[in-house]
Amino acid sequence: MEKPEVKGTVTSLSSMFPAEEVQKAANRVAETLSEKQNEMNQLREFIADNTSLINLVQKLPEELHHDIMVPFGKAAFFPGRLIHTNEFLVLLGESYYVERTAKQTVEILKRRGKSLESKMDALEAFMQDLKAEASFFDSTASEAAEDLVEIKEEYEEENSTETESQSGELEQESPSFAEADNTMVASEDDEFAHIMSRLEALEKEELAAESYGENDEDQDTGAAVSDGDEDEDEQAKAVFHRKKYEGYSSLDHDQRYSEVYQSRKPLQQLKGKDSMNEETSSKYHHQDLISQLACTGLTVEPVIKGKMSHSQSMPQETKMLNPSINASVPFEKRVKFEAEHSSRNEKSVQTSKSGFDSSKAFTGSIVEHTLNLEKASPGQTTSQFSGSQTSKPVSRFKMQRK
Amino acid sequence: MDSLNQAKIQKFEEFVDRRLKPDLVRAIAERDKVFEQQKIFSDLRKNIENLEQNSVTNLRTLVNLGSEVYMQAEVPDTQRIFLDIGLGFHVEFTWSEALKFISLREEKLERQIEEYTRLIASIKAQIKLVCEGIRELLQIPEEKTVEGRVF
Repeated sequence: MEKPEVKGTVTSLSSMFPAEEVQKAANRVAETLSEKQNEMNQLREFIADNTSLINLVQKLPEELHHDIMVPFGKAAFFPGRLIHTNEFLVLLGESYYVERTAKQTVEILKRRGKSLESKMDALEAFMQDLKAEASFFDSTASEAAEDLVEIKEEYEEENSTETESQSGELEQESPSFAEADNTMVASEDDEFAHIMSRLEALEKEELAAESYGENDEDQDTGAAVSDGDEDEDEQAKAVFHRKKYEGYSSLDHDQRYSEVYQSRKPLQQLKGKDSMNEETSSKYHHQDLISQLACTGLTVEPVIKGKMSHSQSMPQETKMLNPSINASVPFEKRVKFEAEHSSRNEKSVQTSKSGFDSSKAFTGSIVEHTLNLEKASPGQTTSQFSGSQTSKPVSRFKMQRK
Repeated sequence: MDSLNQAKIQKFEEFVDRRLKPDLVRAIAERDKVFEQQKIFSDLRKNIENLEQNSVTNLRTLVNLGSEVYMQAEVPDTQRIFLDIGLGFHVEFTWSEALKFISLREEKLERQIEEYTRLIASIKAQIKLVCEGIRELLQIPEEKTVEGRVF
């Protein structure tokens, strides 16, 4: 399913895995394979010789003497006899010989045969791996030749679709992945960073102003996360209830909010706290806008700030938000981005922490974000939200009506 | 002109690498085989002369059954010896006959070695000639060199 917007990167397989290199790799594997094949054949010969020798050693003691042609060098024979037919001189290696009877010799030879067979099994396993590698290379080469293309897209909460052609070694893929993702993220990061910083600042202000016990500003991210989760749940529930009243189906959004929250938290931490103060307010606006923009036909709850990601649009809320919206008009575009990207959503969730009231359309139970919010200067936020803060319950009702 | 020379040089180098050098390697391998044969027969001759000198009649040896497993063997009469005369035939000899045969064999082998040596020398000369031609082409591009296989 292709999205209307062009997301992700398209990389040609052949660029990632150049055809010649793949060919060379395949050749190398083939060579190693043939070498191992030769070794295997040699081992098989040894085993065959060993088996025949065992038979001979078992047969010889049947007679006292055997008439044979005794070789004298490479090109001469002497007619002679084999004597002491039960005594064998076996070479153990390193010029060590032992005199053994036929039975003992057979045992020695059997042990040798076993070690040979185990060697052969190991070789076979190795060859199997090589064959798998070779087939893999061949398929890669053919795919690269066919100009297969690898498509990468960033995962988005809303409609994330990632399609990749499968090919290439994992090793090669992972770095290219990282690169593609990084490039994609990097381009968006700038805008997001800006918005995020604002959102975070706003959130901080809210937190400070409202002094919600839920959000422990001083806590570390870990603690904040845990708290935030609880809060998120509570908030989600609250939102849910409200939605019921309002008849909005915001379930999905709730979930997204929670997700956004969690994702936002790390983001918030990254952002500087100082810069956020001023930006948070605008962020909040953005979030509202985003949520509105994202959803069409869905009435967005006053969640606003944090929940921009939800792409819920509340026409009614917009009115409330208007004052805030105006300020955030320039951010609309960015808001859209945020809505698209889960990461942004998180930010919005975070900033929309507790207590922004009716104008924000976010029920008081905002997710606690990470610590950053705490530091945001309460003054600025309060000024913006002053009206809304106290009217949390009121705003809900308002929203319901709307 | 240069490009033409380059093409020529390329051809000569290929000729050396693909035809002459492998020929040389093969000839040397064949000659080595003959050397080995020669060594075998000379060892045999020495042994027989030894036996004759010491008037050895009985012989106790260790016979390799395969994979370095030996068994004692006894030769009661060393007067008769079977020699490999080629094509899978072994002929019964007495010591003196064996010695005569071995010396004949050794002469034949010597001639073979000489032949191989000559072949190797000629191949080496050809390689040298082509290399010289390439060198001339490179240093004096204008001069036209006539290269050809010399047999």
